[in-house]
Amino acid sequence: MISFLILIGIVICFSAILALALNFQWGLGGMVNFGLTGFYALGAYAAALLMLKAGANTFVAAVGAMAVVAAVCGLVAFVTLRVTEEDYFAIVTLGVGEMLRLVALNEDWLTKGALGLTGVPRPFGAAIAPEYYQYFLLALALALLLATLWFLDRLARSPFGRLVRAVREDDVVAATLGKNVLWARVRIFAIGGGIIGLAGSLHGFYYQYIDPTQFSNIVLAYAFMAVIAGGRGAHRGAILGAAAVMLLLEGSRFLKDVIPALDSDQLAAIRIIIIGAGLILLLIYRPRGFFREYRLRVDFK
Amino acid sequence: MSSILKVSGLHAGYGAGDILKGVDVELAAGSILTIIGPNGSGKSTLAKTLAGLLPARAGTVELEGRPLDQLSAPKRVLAGISYVPQEYNVFRNLTVLENLKIAREFMGANGHGRRGFDERLEELFPELPMHYRIAAGNLSGGQRQMLAFACALTARPRLLILDEPSAGLSPILTREVFERVERVNRTGVSILMIEQNAIEALRISHRCIVLSGGRVRACASAQEVLEMKDLNSLYLGDASNRI
Amino acid sequence: MLQTAFNGVVTGVIMALPALAVTLLFGVLKFPNFAVGAMMTVAAYLAFALNAQLGWPLAAAAVAAALAMGALCVGIDHLTFRPLRERGAITLMVASLGLGFILENVARFAYGNSARSFAIELARPFRVADVRMNYEQMITIAVSSAAMIAMYVLLTRLPMGRAMRAVADNPSLALVRGIESPRVIRWTWFLAGILLALGGVLIGMDRALEPPMGSNYLISVFAAAIFGGLGSPLGAFVGALVIGLVSELSTLVMAPNYRIGVPLVAIAVILVFRPQGLFGQPYIRK
Repeated sequence: MISFLILIGIVICFSAILALALNFQWGLGGMVNFGLTGFYALGAYAAALLMLKAGANTFVAAVGAMAVVAAVCGLVAFVTLRVTEEDYFAIVTLGVGEMLRLVALNEDWLTKGALGLTGVPRPFGAAIAPEYYQYFLLALALALLLATLWFLDRLARSPFGRLVRAVREDDVVAATLGKNVLWARVRIFAIGGGIIGLAGSLHGFYYQYIDPTQFSNIVLAYAFMAVIAGGRGAHRGAILGAAAVMLLLEGSRFLKDVIPALDSDQLAAIRIIIIGAGLILLLIYRPRGFFREYRLRVDFK
Repeated sequence: MSSILKVSGLHAGYGAGDILKGVDVELAAGSILTIIGPNGSGKSTLAKTLAGLLPARAGTVELEGRPLDQLSAPKRVLAGISYVPQEYNVFRNLTVLENLKIAREFMGANGHGRRGFDERLEELFPELPMHYRIAAGNLSGGQRQMLAFACALTARPRLLILDEPSAGLSPILTREVFERVERVNRTGVSILMIEQNAIEALRISHRCIVLSGGRVRACASAQEVLEMKDLNSLYLGDASNRI
Repeated sequence: MLQTAFNGVVTGVIMALPALAVTLLFGVLKFPNFAVGAMMTVAAYLAFALNAQLGWPLAAAAVAAALAMGALCVGIDHLTFRPLRERGAITLMVASLGLGFILENVARFAYGNSARSFAIELARPFRVADVRMNYEQMITIAVSSAAMIAMYVLLTRLPMGRAMRAVADNPSLALVRGIESPRVIRWTWFLAGILLALGGVLIGMDRALEPPMGSNYLISVFAAAIFGGLGSPLGAFVGALVIGLVSELSTLVMAPNYRIGVPLVAIAVILVFRPQGLFGQPYIRK
């Protein structure tokens, strides 16, 4: 049981990192990322391949994965937003995400296709005894989560953070203030991408095995649910949102014992129905989520 | 003379602040009232609020003694107010004829002249039938303004609200537009017009209101205002200028 | 080559229906709706239930499913999108994503993940000028063309159709022209539901019924609508044909698995060179 809780803890940590990334791109920056799953997969595959094919150590692999996802995200934002508005951007991210998933599925020479990559190395995998390894991984994931949180908190308070919110509230006003809105958006999306890459690397470290089925659109639903429940723009909210969603999901595995008539496909379907319904209900009845966005408290008087 | 429109203590705006800060307007039936004022004084906001596109935050609007406050924009059309916005006042992707048909079908003019085009409108806008098949977005500025008038009049309104009908038009076209406005008025439609082009507009108006900073700064007969030496002093919105 | 082109035309003709739905919905509601794929899935399974389970002829099942889907869409809009109408396009897009998850998984819950097909008799394919065609493809082309013509007549000849185009063109002017937008929105959803249902049934006939059948087409359908110019019905038709044709032809020169790259590239190309699409008017904010 303890070990089960620890495993859930680790899952919560990297889901929370993913939620923080989405929260940064969408909650703070106002840029919808419907390709989240694809970018997440890119991070996981990039880290795993850097280790398996290029022999990089885990640290270099994680940093490399962050750089790769950040670059791809930045590029997507740059190419799309140079010419168009948010509506199209959402469609393009969806398409790019799907494309990335297809690459993972079809480029057998690189990704082993549907078989997936096995034997993904873990940080200090050899140095730490297997029976203690999960504690270490939890500590590592927690530390990375806190580091991400610290980084994003600082960013939100910096001049760049104010620019990010200004761009979200009204890009025209931000542009007339002489801010380069396109460049700001590219940076927002790329930074978010870097964090997605980090979450993806952790995903690989945890499962030690990655295949395309792990990156279905369920991940997208979870992440959006976590951010909406947490309150768009609120960092701690996104973390708690991710924790709540993951506990709910892991908890719903026990549903099978309660309603034995359901097969596993049906259970999976019910979970996503619940997430989808929760998403819409929260948007309607609790649009600010359960936490407030960080704001500078400045009295203008 | 009885008044057709009576606005008192109107407050309205977008976001946090009010743009209109307690506006009173009274329009005598059958007359033309022109509202002038500097940019940002709230003229267009007033027109939008009267048309029902923007909710009033305080104050009342009455058309022929009937309160309009609860009515949506489409309902106000049925009640007898037609509004011609400043720009984008025709459906650009629809043809001229389709624009007119929409006006006829949805503006409550169904009892009259459903078949064929209203002969009164043909008289007022003889040029329109030539362009029936053209997309309204391809009309020239003047033609577009005429189409917008024609659509608005299809409802047989008792009050026509025009937001800067001369915006973007050449002086010749401006004169033509105002001449049309006068002819429409002679058919018995009261007109509330917002104009930057104060002198031209005042020539055809009966009364004039100066709006500034969301408040009525002056209210006088158009003649009086035209005779004033320095029209610009009105725009300063200084209370001492109150006539 | 000719065979591939013909297959592309059939794919394009199928996509024209949802592309038109997307364009109508975008025109009136001003946000891209990400639930349209799942709506096609649900409608296809509705038709499947009537056809394969209750034994109705497919044509009757399709008509019933289309009407039911139209009504369902009106109801769904009332429950999900109406309360969010004033919250901006991004919120509405996210809500439509959530709705898509729900609908697709309702289908999965009811019928599982395995592929199914309609109960129709398979006729032998025939050949015209060396191109293999089958009976279903002929029906597909006929149904889609008929639906497109009907929509064209509706949008240009009937008052409600004109009102829909008017709202798409300029929502606030539509209000002061006496057009009550809730009514227009209801009609738009009803028609979109019918188009999506027909699209779903045709996809099910062309391929098979499975839960992701609709969302697989989502990007292509958006690309078709954007390519033709969002808000332009004629554009949706032409855009769908172009995207369908190019997607199929692309398999001659590259791996068929990456067919989805074609609509993406098409979106990129059209946005760079003609952002309003082939038949669209420049989009004015406000």
